[in-house]
Amino acid sequence: MAKVFVIDVARCSGCHNCQLACKDEHCGNDWRPYAAPQPPTGQFWCKVTDHPRGTIPKVKIHYIPVLCNHCADAPCIAAAENGAVYRREDGLVVIDPEKAAGQKAIAEACPYGAVYWNEELALPQKCTGCAHLLDHGSAVPRCVEACPTDAMKFGEEEDLKDLLADAVVLHEEYGTGPRVYYRNIPGCFLGGLVYDPAEEEVVIGAKVILTRADGTTLETETDAFGDFWFKELPEETVSVTIRAEGFTEKTFGGLNTAECPNLGDVALERE
Amino acid sequence: MTDKFTPEKQNLVSYSLMGPESGGPCLVDSNQNRITRIRPYFYDRDYTDKHCRPWKIEARGQTFVPPDRVTITPLGLGYKSRVYSANRVKYPLKRVDWDPKGERNPQNRGKSKYVRISWDEAAQICADELVRMKETYGPEAVLCESDMHGEGKRVAPSHGCPNRLLALMGGYTLQMRNMDSWEGWYWGAKHVWGCEPVGEMAPNANLYPDIAKNSDMLLFWGCDPETTPLGVVSHMPSRLCYWFTDLGIESVYVCPDLNYGAAVHADKWIPILPNTDAALQLAIAYIWLTEGTYDKEYIATHAYGFEEFEAYVMGGEDGVPKTPQWASEKCGVKPWTIKALARHWATQTTSILHGNGGCFIRGPYATEPARLEVMLLGMQGLGRPGVHQGKMIEWNMWVRDYPVPYQGEFVPKVPQICDCLRAVDGDLPDDIDMRRYDLNDYQKEKAPELVELFKKFPAPKQFIPRCIVHRAITEGQAEWYGLHCFSSSQQPGPDGSRKPTNIYQFDKIVYPRPGCSRVHMIWTDSPCNVTCWNNGNLFADAYRDPSIETVIAQHPWLENDCYFADLILPVATKHEMSDLCNDLSSGVYQSVYITEPCCPPVGESLTDFDVCVKVCEKLGPEYVRAYTGNGLTEADRVRFFYAASGCEDHMDWDEFYQRKIFVVPVKEDAQEVPAGLKGFHDDPAANPLSTPTGLLEYSSTDIAKYMPDDPERPPVPHWIEKSESHDERLSSERAKKYPLLCMSNHGRWRMHAQCDDIIWNREVETMKIRAWDGYQYEPMWIHPQTAAERGIKHHDIVKIYNERGIVLCAAYVTERLIPGVVYVDHGSRLDPIVPGYLDRGGCINCITPTSMTSKNSTGMAVSGFLVECEKVTDEEYREWSTKYAEAWNRPLDPDGGVCLAGWLTDPAMDEDPTNGIRCLKDKEGIPLPAVQTPWSSVDWRTGE
Repeated sequence: MAKVFVIDVARCSGCHNCQLACKDEHCGNDWRPYAAPQPPTGQFWCKVTDHPRGTIPKVKIHYIPVLCNHCADAPCIAAAENGAVYRREDGLVVIDPEKAAGQKAIAEACPYGAVYWNEELALPQKCTGCAHLLDHGSAVPRCVEACPTDAMKFGEEEDLKDLLADAVVLHEEYGTGPRVYYRNIPGCFLGGLVYDPAEEEVVIGAKVILTRADGTTLETETDAFGDFWFKELPEETVSVTIRAEGFTEKTFGGLNTAECPNLGDVALERE
Repeated sequence: MTDKFTPEKQNLVSYSLMGPESGGPCLVDSNQNRITRIRPYFYDRDYTDKHCRPWKIEARGQTFVPPDRVTITPLGLGYKSRVYSANRVKYPLKRVDWDPKGERNPQNRGKSKYVRISWDEAAQICADELVRMKETYGPEAVLCESDMHGEGKRVAPSHGCPNRLLALMGGYTLQMRNMDSWEGWYWGAKHVWGCEPVGEMAPNANLYPDIAKNSDMLLFWGCDPETTPLGVVSHMPSRLCYWFTDLGIESVYVCPDLNYGAAVHADKWIPILPNTDAALQLAIAYIWLTEGTYDKEYIATHAYGFEEFEAYVMGGEDGVPKTPQWASEKCGVKPWTIKALARHWATQTTSILHGNGGCFIRGPYATEPARLEVMLLGMQGLGRPGVHQGKMIEWNMWVRDYPVPYQGEFVPKVPQICDCLRAVDGDLPDDIDMRRYDLNDYQKEKAPELVELFKKFPAPKQFIPRCIVHRAITEGQAEWYGLHCFSSSQQPGPDGSRKPTNIYQFDKIVYPRPGCSRVHMIWTDSPCNVTCWNNGNLFADAYRDPSIETVIAQHPWLENDCYFADLILPVATKHEMSDLCNDLSSGVYQSVYITEPCCPPVGESLTDFDVCVKVCEKLGPEYVRAYTGNGLTEADRVRFFYAASGCEDHMDWDEFYQRKIFVVPVKEDAQEVPAGLKGFHDDPAANPLSTPTGLLEYSSTDIAKYMPDDPERPPVPHWIEKSESHDERLSSERAKKYPLLCMSNHGRWRMHAQCDDIIWNREVETMKIRAWDGYQYEPMWIHPQTAAERGIKHHDIVKIYNERGIVLCAAYVTERLIPGVVYVDHGSRLDPIVPGYLDRGGCINCITPTSMTSKNSTGMAVSGFLVECEKVTDEEYREWSTKYAEAWNRPLDPDGGVCLAGWLTDPAMDEDPTNGIRCLKDKEGIPLPAVQTPWSSVDWRTGE
């Protein structure tokens, strides 16, 4: 019995349903002994973060819903006194709202910032995985049920193992053994458009060569719009050379892929 | 004690916010008379697999199956916060300085506050005023504003209940809805391809299976499939878009903003200046004509007037060839990209998708891009496999031939009391009307109890299109062409075709009509003219016009036009009543389902129907009898509506009542209906369009016949730089003062003006931005470069303005918008600081153009207009907050914004200002926030 969350970032439309369903379930509803009410606003037991990258018109956005990782080696459990935070048999990590009262250290222990401090109740609070619903007949937490594209899944690790094959966790370096997995978090990209200013035409089929920090290269061609894209790049400094028959080649150096550079509309001069 | 983890009650509720129609069922749990949660409804697979013929689409080796549940939207998920919103109207309210027996102070509407009165007093005032109006001026002195979007309710609809009451009084003046989502299609595209009723492509059967199989490229032209469908359809368009990408179909977005659909689905984004699409379209035609890359054979057999169109494009008419260079200067798209798009399109099987919305079809002269789009599709063989105009919204709209193959084997005929959508003109034939709101013979036989209720009242004698109501009131007269009825939506004939209605667009109509009074009283159940229509500030003036003696609003929330009302009657939401819903639009199955109350009415609210019954009680028992169809209760109406729906032939009432839902089996041969305009494509003679020639009219015979000299809508569509009605281009003299183009679209986190108060949606940055003063402002998108030129930083309080007024927002500085443009979603609730001039609520429609779509096209233009924006200086802020201190310091809900307490003479009268949504902690509620002192530079969060 070990449940996990798996979130496919490539299927997340940013609709915020998961964030809103969580609030609908927990704001103003008292689910003690599982959880005291979440304040009406201000806490995000499930929070959709948006990541816009690039510059006009080569702009992409991806969204990452962030929630308690229900870590295998949970710092909040270690920080709690009186066993105020416990792991259930199904793997969910739950804060006991009675025992945890006054224990700010529980909120401070989470390296992910997933545990919120409720000033009014003097209580650390976070995602319970909707344990109160799971114990009363629901198969999945509210966030998962509300996801309109099935980007978010929850279930036995064994049942989801196909999805977990290429999944990652956020900040693996924290070493807490997160149980929330993500698929398809996009890497950096670099793009541009190539045109011939004399004819005011895009250049289709131009060779675009990206030279990586280690000297290896990637190559692509411009498409019907004169566009080229390199996607899934690691963060590093690269250079790009654009080459087309009959034109003088152009090279752009010192490009930091972390910024998802857009070379813009690149004019190639005729030879 | 009951287990609190087990809901005491579970109900199915629709979160379509479209108005008369219902959406997909969602499940609402309640405990102890309060709503606990709102969640998706899961179909009973054991039942549907066996009885309902689940559908699927197969294409290119992949299969698309609908989800096992209704894909709930952010609006539904947050709706509990709307039910218990701090701006619910809880009891009848009367404006403090409006005395129906003395001084009425119309000039103070929008400023003065309210006092609580009893239902008895309120109903008596309503009845007295109606009688007084009738006796003094005649019944047409009362304008009934009662159309469209609102909660999807049927037995007591959000819109249309007052019409029945006013009809009993002997008539009224009807506010006729203009084609607010289809302006350009209705007034323009209809003259190219007919396509009744609104001028968007019809029929639209099986479009998505056909696109999945045959299209190479999809142009999302001013379309946001992740936004506009949410209040109407669900998230099915989102799922389809992901699938199209999986199939390898290229998604190209043409729009000024990287909208929410483009953000996650676009393979290519072509940013374009707002409302300049016609220039791009003409240049694409120019490339195709010069390079011969269009379907000449198709044009030869399917088109009329193509030579005139060609002559205009090539410069034969005005000496200006519509080259990519020419277009680029207008639309901001580089010439090389225009050429690339034109050539790529010519080689790729392409459909164009829309989702209503603001930036393509609701601008000045929207008839022109609408017509040009159809012409471009025609040049690439419109109707051939994969070449269509499709819609990602309103799949149910005209109840025939759905774009996804989920239509039921029969269409349930759940009746609807809805007298607001009707034809008004004795000269119109009987079948030009929304006949589906009458009972048909089958329904009369199955539910004879309903006959009295549905007895049709005589049509009102006088009407005013909604987009010119403000001018009609302030000027006392108006004239226009051809808006007799909502979209001419007559019922299709047995073969599915509809009678052509183009010619009715050329009838001239005047207000006041001979024998009718001008308007002296307004009764509204759709109080959002300031927020959602053209030039809201002029609407504010109209409501305060001295000729208007009485304004009555009935609405669940105190918002927008309600601030201009003299009397406000509290209405219950759909959670507080019983209803019979008909899901035609969620995209999974069609169904009919029953709703019962999830919680008691908030405060003293009543359903819209019962509000009117209250007034009838004051008018006399004969009014009550007539209004209620001989005393039918809400429960009666639910029961008999089911009997009339046709579902009882398949599931008897007892079983239905127990199951709560009847899912209509999918039509067996649904996917065999030809896709889109295939019939016309294959044989135009046998399957003509409903244009006069039966062909695609590149030069309109009707316009040439009736209005040949209209420079704003000539027979061949034109690029119109400026003309009599609008001067809203960057080339304008006005642009020296107002150099930015403002675009507006439907918001993602609300549906027009609905749901602006959901406190959880307001935590999303693109919904509201809390500025340094603690106020949650509407975001104004602006490109970093345009912002830097003005010294504007992310989250700064800014003012957007032109001659028509000032709207305050907070800057959302982003690469998601083309430079030179600002973008504000429409529908943010008004917070009038100076009514008709200065709004703090971010209600952008306050400053949209006054003129119609064009002088003979009776629509509105609410996107693509000139403004300037600046950071609000400390000095200005101080001036406003002191000079207009009373308005500036109205109490606000810190999480929900404008609220009831802000408009009461004594805020403490609202005993529980947050309706308990603030959680269970204590009975004191949240202390009323004094968000601002007249001037404070203290940061609300840090206290520094």
